[in-house]
Amino acid sequence: MYELAGIRKVFADGSVALEDLSLRVGPGEHVAFIGPSGAGKTTLFRILNLTLRPTAGTLIFEGQDVAGLSDAGLRRVRTRIGTIYQQQNLVGRLRVVHNVLAGHLGRWSTATALASLVRPRDVAGAGRALEQVGMPEKLWARTDELSGGQQQRVAIARVLVQDPDVILADEPVSAVDPSLAVSIVTLLRDLSHESRKTLLMNLHSVDLALGYFPRIVGVRDGRVRFDLSPDRVGPELLAELYAGHRDEERQLERLRDGQNPLGAACRPLPGFRK
Amino acid sequence: MGGLRARAAAARPGRTAPLLAGAGLAALLAWSWHGTAVDLPGLFGGEGMRQVATYVAGLFPPDLSARTWRDAAAGAVETFAISLIGSLLAVGLGLPLSLLATRTLLYRGILFEGRRPGPGARTARVALYAAGKALLNLLRTIPEIVWALIFVFMVGLGPFPGVLALGFHTGGVLGKLFGEVLEDVDPAPLEALQATGASRFGILVYGVLPQALPQFVSYALYRWEVNIRAAAMLGFVGAGGLGQRIHIAISLFQEHQLLTLILAIYAIVTLVDALSAYLRARLV
Repeated sequence: MYELAGIRKVFADGSVALEDLSLRVGPGEHVAFIGPSGAGKTTLFRILNLTLRPTAGTLIFEGQDVAGLSDAGLRRVRTRIGTIYQQQNLVGRLRVVHNVLAGHLGRWSTATALASLVRPRDVAGAGRALEQVGMPEKLWARTDELSGGQQQRVAIARVLVQDPDVILADEPVSAVDPSLAVSIVTLLRDLSHESRKTLLMNLHSVDLALGYFPRIVGVRDGRVRFDLSPDRVGPELLAELYAGHRDEERQLERLRDGQNPLGAACRPLPGFRK
Repeated sequence: MGGLRARAAAARPGRTAPLLAGAGLAALLAWSWHGTAVDLPGLFGGEGMRQVATYVAGLFPPDLSARTWRDAAAGAVETFAISLIGSLLAVGLGLPLSLLATRTLLYRGILFEGRRPGPGARTARVALYAAGKALLNLLRTIPEIVWALIFVFMVGLGPFPGVLALGFHTGGVLGKLFGEVLEDVDPAPLEALQATGASRFGILVYGVLPQALPQFVSYALYRWEVNIRAAAMLGFVGAGGLGQRIHIAISLFQEHQLLTLILAIYAIVTLVDALSAYLRARLV
């Protein structure tokens, strides 16, 4: 699916977000990315969904080097990559149906896109997607009237309408409360599993990553620090990954003490058992 | 922690800068006062004040004959129509031009980080922006009344040059304001739309315009309120409406008719303000 080699990203202000990052992700894989804030995870995801150009290195998507693509070529590839953000990536003033149908924009002609704003096309498809995320009754609601968790479901419905080969979820549950977090992560995992989509997720909470993903990539200072199955991600590795980031270290202490902030919804984690 | 405190200290403004700015502002004010020859005794105490009072007293009572009524009503309707059509023309001109005056739609910002632009492509887009901005500045710097003179010369007397004059000047104003609104929208939804593979146009109609629309409506309504007053004046150069009739009444010393016409302007300005406020409450 993805082959990254020597990816480096330096922003205009000179800050280095990614440094010599290499990674391979196979089709249908589920991968969680963890690491302290500022590690470069969001930058990496923007490079993966082709909205940000790396300063150096190659990115190969499905055997194709994306560096040489034209605008139209880039758009075609983007239609196959769906992205879910932390929050606020919907247009609040539009009705839910339009935000969901925006998943079609990569395929629709200009005329169809315009016409759909007046008389929505594929209302059935939007309805089905909303049903899959568990809120079919919100089809005609105004998006800014929904709660944060409901908006996140609308964003997932948009990705379902887009029907990509890869789903990138960048901190999809950081802005919702813990019980909802588990349900959204499982929803994304099950939906991608059913339709054999590749799922890459940035996660702030280590227990969600270790509990729900078969492959964990630790990122720090713009580099991959480890790339392991969850049972091999022990306390020492995590302590090293988060060293110097106080809030996130506290999360590890809670884990070590056996307190699970997510409650019974999450399995006890290997390596943290007393 | 120490770094944070150091940064806070560095951010604290010095004491001399505001003092200097204050002194500069005071000097500018004094110079402007002198330069504009402000003469308060001349305004309130002199002969002029008495003359104005006499003239105003001479306006009363307003002429309420059927003929003058009809004339004032026809003028009011015409002025209303000029302001409405002129404002719509302004939106029609300003909206497309505003897209050229929006950097974030042409060459920079979140929509332009995915790919290195081809050689010359960025330069061409920056040039397009500069041209759009320059055209809007030109439309805006020429006042309505000068546009009206130009169009009266081109298409003759009547309300039509008034419509064109308002459309061109206000088009320039709205184009600039709309462009600022467009640059100011939340980029997060645009990033998400771009990631679905949407075209620039798709991002514009699904992400940018829905966010900008309430402010567009608000600015357009406000400019309509400005334009109803402007429309009443454009008649002085022959561009129709109440202004043209007022000009005639002043020239022919028809003081009582003049007062009726002035009252008509007052009524119609109040009406448009109320309409605009109602629409704003409903739409924004």
